Amino acid sequence: MDEKTFVTDIEELLEVDAGSLHPAVELASLAQWDSLAFVSFLAMADSKYGAKVAPTELRACKTVGDLMKLVSK
Amino acid sequence: MATTKIQGVRIAGIASAVPDTCHPVSEMAETFGAEDVRKISQSTGVIKRYLAAPKLCCSDLCYSAAKRLLNELNWDPTSVEALILVTQSPDYPYVPATSCILQMRLGLTHSCATFDVTLGCSGYVYGLWIAASLMAGSGLSRVLVLAGDTQTAVSPLDRSAALLFGDAGTATALEKSDASSPLGFSLGTDGAGWKNLIVPSGWRRGRIPQTTPLVRKQAEANNWRCQDELFMDGAEIFAFTIREVPPLVSDVLATLGWTRDEVDYFVFHQANKFMLTHLAKTMKLPLPKVPFSLHEYGNTSSASIPITINSQLAEQISQHSLKLLMAGFGVGYSWGACTVNCGPIVSPPVIKVNESEAWQC
Repeated sequence: MDEKTFVTDIEELLEVDAGSLHPAVELASLAQWDSLAFVSFLAMADSKYGAKVAPTELRACKTVGDLMKLVSK
Repeated sequence: MATTKIQGVRIAGIASAVPDTCHPVSEMAETFGAEDVRKISQSTGVIKRYLAAPKLCCSDLCYSAAKRLLNELNWDPTSVEALILVTQSPDYPYVPATSCILQMRLGLTHSCATFDVTLGCSGYVYGLWIAASLMAGSGLSRVLVLAGDTQTAVSPLDRSAALLFGDAGTATALEKSDASSPLGFSLGTDGAGWKNLIVPSGWRRGRIPQTTPLVRKQAEANNWRCQDELFMDGAEIFAFTIREVPPLVSDVLATLGWTRDEVDYFVFHQANKFMLTHLAKTMKLPLPKVPFSLHEYGNTSSASIPITINSQLAEQISQHSLKLLMAGFGVGYSWGACTVNCGPIVSPPVIKVNESEAWQC
């Protein structure tokens, strides 16, 4: 998967400025990473990447890069 | 998945009732902040809902719906041979079964069979399945399925639940009919999800000493609740739904050999708008075929499918036969779907019930 496209998807999902995120960004540092964003990510993983992500796996993610690993499996 | 096809039973009518007290979610802005309420409402699709005043019970709403339905159908109450009440908010927590009290209140005969079924989101489909099975198997001619909940166990300080649920009670009349087309059913359970939608205390397993004061504690983020109040893990429920509902829809279509395209309406349990929109998108269902009533009534548990029919499809279904696929899924986890050629049926407008109409026991 293209890293740039994925990061752009996350920026759109979280409604943050384009170019503001990169794989090393900690999710805990993002105010937008709330419970609604959490479920929105599960939905995006399913509809866009065909990945059925378990919430426990998602909870274990620390960075934007970790999210990408989840949907690339 | 348990799938069955039942012949010789038709739905004759559906009626729904809500409390007359309407609560827009915007009134929760003081508790959660206007911006959070706006964001949550946009996601859930709930703009307002009706919440019962203290004395009004689910049984009162179901009673009003049943009374109205019997009148409109011109059914003598004494002709009803069985009454099934699907609820998680009975009049009394232990005994007796609320369906017994409703037999008396509705003036049904002593030879009427009644029982309660404790299911929520999937409950309406289960109620239809039980009723239709009983009628096909035992030759009963007229059965009432009452379904609904009043959400008294929701913490007003828990944003995951406080802005979502509404109260409603419904009645569905089924009758034997040799001319009717078959009903298809598909049902399933995954008890591993028991802890993701639960009121932890109150009965035998989660008993807490009566001397323990019920104190709301900070659970997660800014949500506060006590053991007597509903806990919902929205992410787990969402993951369960997107895993189980698409195969459920395929299975129930197969019971009658229907294709997706020939279904007039997919009437889903009104869990929340975000979830239903996602399901429709991934299953490639056209949105105009997926009616919503969340904006008006919220998530009304087992009442959500019938109230969606009464509030969104009344005009069509009272004049024509519609090919409906109904699907309920959630608490348990439990799920069920039904395919049926439904209509023309009696479908009165949603009734508003005042607290003064509560049963004076």
